[in-house]
Amino acid sequence: MIRTELRYHRPDTPGEASALLDDHAHDTVVLGGGTMLLPMMHRAEITARHVLDLRGLALDTVTEHAGHVEIGAMATYRHLLDSPMLARRVPLLPRMAAGITGGEQLRNLGTIGGSACFANPSSDVPAVLVALGATLRLHGPAGHRDVAAANFFHGAFTTDLADGEFLASLLVPHQRGRNGYHKLKLSEGSWPIVTAVATVDPERGTAEVTVGAAQAAPVRIDLTTLLGADGRLHLDSIDALVRDRIDDPWSDVLTDGAYRRVVAGVVARRAVIDLIGPNR
Amino acid sequence: MLSQFATLAEAAAPTLDERNSMVSTDGARVPVEQSPRRDGDLLLTGRAEYLDDLEPAGTLHAAILRSPHPHARIRAVDPEAARRCRGVRAVVTGAEALDLVGPLPHSFDPGDVGGRTAVVRVLAVDEVRFVGDPVAVVVADSTANAEAALDAIRVDYEALPAVVEFEQAMAESAPRVFGDWADNVLLRLPYSVGDAEAALARSPYVLKEEFRIQRYQAAPLEPRGYLADWAASGKLTVYASTQNPHLLRTNLARIFDLREDRIRVVATRLGGAFGHKFAGYPEEALVCLLSRMVGAPVKWVESREEALLVGAREFATELAVGFDSTGRILAIKGELVGNVGCLSTWGGWPMVFPAGLIFPGPYHVPDCAINSVAVVTNKAPWGGARGYGKEASTLVLERAVDLIAERLGLDPVDVRMRNFVPPDAFPYWSMAKHLDSGDYPGALAKAVRLSGYHRQRVRQREARAEGRLLGVGVAFELTPEGADFAGSFARGYDTSTVRVSPAGGVTVLTGVTTPGTGNETSIAALVAREFGLPADAVSVVQGDTDACPLGFGNSSSRSLTAGGGAAVLAARTVRERMASAAAVLLDVPVGGLVFARGEIVSGDRRIGFAELADQVYRNAYAIPGLDDPLLEATMVERPLNSHYVPDEEGRTSGYPNYPYSAHVGVVEVDAETGRVELLEYTVIDDCGVRISPNFVAGQRYGAIVMGVGGALFEELPYDANGKPLAKTFKHYLVPRASDVLDIRLEHQVTPSPYTLLGTKGAGEGGVSGTVACLANAVNDALRPLGVRVHQMPLSAPRVLRAIRSAAGAA
Repeated sequence: MIRTELRYHRPDTPGEASALLDDHAHDTVVLGGGTMLLPMMHRAEITARHVLDLRGLALDTVTEHAGHVEIGAMATYRHLLDSPMLARRVPLLPRMAAGITGGEQLRNLGTIGGSACFANPSSDVPAVLVALGATLRLHGPAGHRDVAAANFFHGAFTTDLADGEFLASLLVPHQRGRNGYHKLKLSEGSWPIVTAVATVDPERGTAEVTVGAAQAAPVRIDLTTLLGADGRLHLDSIDALVRDRIDDPWSDVLTDGAYRRVVAGVVARRAVIDLIGPNR
Repeated sequence: MLSQFATLAEAAAPTLDERNSMVSTDGARVPVEQSPRRDGDLLLTGRAEYLDDLEPAGTLHAAILRSPHPHARIRAVDPEAARRCRGVRAVVTGAEALDLVGPLPHSFDPGDVGGRTAVVRVLAVDEVRFVGDPVAVVVADSTANAEAALDAIRVDYEALPAVVEFEQAMAESAPRVFGDWADNVLLRLPYSVGDAEAALARSPYVLKEEFRIQRYQAAPLEPRGYLADWAASGKLTVYASTQNPHLLRTNLARIFDLREDRIRVVATRLGGAFGHKFAGYPEEALVCLLSRMVGAPVKWVESREEALLVGAREFATELAVGFDSTGRILAIKGELVGNVGCLSTWGGWPMVFPAGLIFPGPYHVPDCAINSVAVVTNKAPWGGARGYGKEASTLVLERAVDLIAERLGLDPVDVRMRNFVPPDAFPYWSMAKHLDSGDYPGALAKAVRLSGYHRQRVRQREARAEGRLLGVGVAFELTPEGADFAGSFARGYDTSTVRVSPAGGVTVLTGVTTPGTGNETSIAALVAREFGLPADAVSVVQGDTDACPLGFGNSSSRSLTAGGGAAVLAARTVRERMASAAAVLLDVPVGGLVFARGEIVSGDRRIGFAELADQVYRNAYAIPGLDDPLLEATMVERPLNSHYVPDEEGRTSGYPNYPYSAHVGVVEVDAETGRVELLEYTVIDDCGVRISPNFVAGQRYGAIVMGVGGALFEELPYDANGKPLAKTFKHYLVPRASDVLDIRLEHQVTPSPYTLLGTKGAGEGGVSGTVACLANAVNDALRPLGVRVHQMPLSAPRVLRAIRSAAGAA
C-alpha cells in the first residue's frame, strides 16, 4: 500500500501542471497510465508526496500533421493499436505496441509517453523512438521545449526532463518505408532483453540499427560501412560491429550484461534481416 | 429379511476386491455424473470471494517488519516512534511477543527423525537468520498506515557472517546458521537397498554426473492471507488462505495454550496453493495475537515480494550409475543436498524425504543407495511446492537414463523399456516404496505412438543436417502420492460425514479441502451416485473446523482417494439405513431395493428419496422396524498400502499411491540466443481411476505448465550477500499462455488395488516429468555440440553459455 500521505493534483492547463511540478520539485510524480508508477509506490520504491495526474490536459490524442504525427503523452498502447492513421504513417509503433507484455489491461492503461519518461533500459519504447527520429515535446515553466529522442535518454531511469517539466507529446516523423524490428525476451512475461530497429535508405546509401535494452540508453549504430558497392549489406559483419558498440551492457535481475552484449549483435542482425530479407 | 440385511451390512466393510469396484446397489456400473465445476461461473466472471475480500466491520490491518540482513544479532528494537504513528493500534517486537505467545509448532520436527531442531518464535528475538525474517509487527487502521509505521521502528542490528549457497554452508569452519549446532546439516536421510557399492564396482560401465535444480517456488496467483477475530467471549475465529485448517487450529491451540474447541478456523476459497499454503507460518499466529491485543478483527495479506521469499526444490545431486552393455541399470549411488534455507516451521524442508526415496523411480534396480541431506543456510525457508522434491530426483534419474543411452548408442526409449519394473511384478518393493500397480512399458509405448516419436527422430536428423538444434526428450515420472507418515500430521487417511435431512438434502462435510481444483464437485458426484441422485442434490462443506470432521486438508493428492473415499463409505452407511427403512415402509425385501433417479424402487413399489428421509425422521420408533433415524455417518478412509512398521527386510513405505506418466517433448534451441522453443509435447498419464476426467486433465495441463516454468524460466536468485533479488513477477518469470503450446494428453488407467475408488492421486503428476523431459530434450538438442547443461533452469543465457563454451573449445 502507498505509505506516504499524498496530495493528488489534476491540473486543467499545462501551465498549472508545470507550476505544480516546479513548486514541488523532487517530491512530485507524474501519473500517466500508472502501470509502473503505482506498483512502485505500493512497494514504497517511490515515496513522493504529490501526484500530478495528466488526465485533465486532453493529451490522449493521436493526430496527423504534414510530415509527422503527434502522439499525446496520455495515449495508451491501445490508442497506438487502434489508429488506422498510425498504421499507415508510422507502422512500427502499432507493431511495437502489439508486443508489449501484460495483456489487455496493460495495453489499455500503459502509455508510450510514460514508458519514455520512465526510461527503463529493459523496455521497448526508448529505442523505437530513437530509431524513428522522434522528438519529445516537453512542457516546462517557460513553455514548450523540443528534445530529440536521441538526446532525451541519458541513462537508466534518467532523462532530459528538468524540474518543472513534463512530457506533453511525441512528434514522430512519417516513416519512410518499412523498418526492420526484432525483440528478444526470455519468456512471454519477460521485459525485453534486447530490441533492435533497422533502417536502410538505399537512395542515400545509408543503413543503421538502433539497439535497445542492451545498454542503459538506446544505441544508434551506423551500418553504412557494411554496405557494399553493389548496395548489398554484409549481414555477417553486423554482429561484431554491434557488439563492439555495446561497451557498457545493462544488467538486471533477468540477465547480465555479458548475455545482452552477445545477443545484441544477433538481435540487430535479425532486425536487418526482418527488413531486407536474409539474402540481400 | 434378516439375511438380506446381513448382506448389506457386509457390503459396508467391503473386501479388497469390492473396494475397487465401481458397482452400485443394483449391481449395475453407474458412471459418476460429470457435472460442471461448482462456482465455475463465479470464478470465470470474477465474482468469487477470496480472503482479501473479507473485511468485517472494524477490521484492522497488520504489516510486518522484516530483516534486511541474512544474518544479524538484534541488539535493540525501539518501537516507540511507531506506536505514535498515525492510525497505529499496536506494535509488537520479538522480545515482547515472548511473554504473549508460545513457540511455533514445527509442521514436521526434524528432531523427531534424528535431525537437529530449533525453537521458532513468532517474531525473531535475538537473531535474524534470513532476509525477510519477521522482527516486529504493526497493526493499524489501514495497511498503508501499518506499513508507514514500519519505517519508524528502529532496529539496531549487528551483522553476522552468513552462508548463502550450500557449498559455503558445508565448508570447514563455515559460519553456523544456528550457533548451538555443530555444523549446518539439518538431517541426513540414508535410503538403501542391496549393496550399491559392490554392484557399482562390478558394473561394466559407470557414469558419474552432477545436477543442480534451482530454488523456485509454487507461485500461486493468490498469495497467503489470514484474518483473525478474537471475540470478547474468548472464541477465536480465523479465516485463512490455508491448505490445512484443522492443523492450523491445533497449532494455534498449542501456541496460545487454548483448547481447540475455542478456536474456529475457516479455510477460504483458494486462488491456487500448490503447497505454498501449508499451515505453519508465523503470520497465522501473529494476526491472532494482534486481534486479542486490540479487540478487533486483524487481517494480514502477503505481498508478492513476501510470497517470493518462500523457497523450494533447490537440490545439488551427485549420482553414480552402474550399467551393462545392454543398458541394464545395475546400481545407483547418490547424494542429494537440499539447500533448505533457514530451518523454520514452514512446510517445505521435508521434501528431502521424497527426493531421496523416489529412487530408483520406475526402474528395477536391485542395488541402490541414496543419501538425502538437508542443509540450512541464510536463505529464507522452504515452503511446500507441487512436486515436493520429486522433480529434483526425477530430473536426475531421467537425465541419467538418457546418458546411459548416449554412452551406449541406444535409443533412450529402449533403455527405459529394458529397466522398467514389469507389469506382472506388482505389488513391488522398490527401496522405500511399495509400488501399488502399473504398466510402465504400456504408458511409454503409448507416448511413443501418440507423439510420433520415430517420426520426430527423422525430423531431428533432417534438422541437424541443416545445422538446427532440434531435440527430442523422453521422460518417465513416478509420483509417490498420499503421503502417510505416522508420527506426523502428514497422513494419508481422512474423514467425511454424510448427512441426509428431512427434506432430502444431502450434505457432505469432509476433512479434505480444495485448493481450487474442483474436488468438491467430484465428491458431490460420488455421493450422489451412491444415493441415485443428481450431483447438484449434494452440497459439500469443506474447510470449516466447527462444521467438518477433523482432517488434514489438502496435500499430496489425496483429496478424492481419502476424503472422497470416506464420503462414499459414509454415504453407503446412510444408504443402508435408508434401505432398511424403505423396506419397512414399502413392505419389500431390502435386497431388491434400488436407489435411482431420486427414488428407492423395488418392483412396482417406490418411495421418493426426500419422502423416505422425511418418514424416517417423523416416524422413527413409532413404526415397527423403523428404528434407526441416524441418517448421518462419519467414516474414515485409510490407505491400505502404507507400511508403517519395518518388514522382515526392514522396509517401510510412507507413500501408498503411485501414479505415473510418460512424456515426449520436442524443442528447438536457438543457437544464437539460447532460447528454447517448445514444438510438441505429449503425455500419457496414469493416475488410476479418474473420477472427473475433465478435472484430471486440467490438473495435468497445469502441472505440465508448472514443469515448463521450472525447466525454463522460474528462479529465485540470491546475490552473494544473501539478498533475494526477485520481488515481482517481472523478476520471477512464470509461463504465460503463449509460452506453452497445445499439449497432447491421453490416459492409461491402471486402478490402484488398494484404494476404494481405484484412484491414485491426480494433483502433482506432470511437474516432475516435464522438468526432466525438457532437460532431456534440450540436452538432446545440444548433443551435436558436445555440451550438456545440468544446471537448471534452462534459461536462454545459461543455454547460450553452454553453446558458446562448445564454440570456444572448437
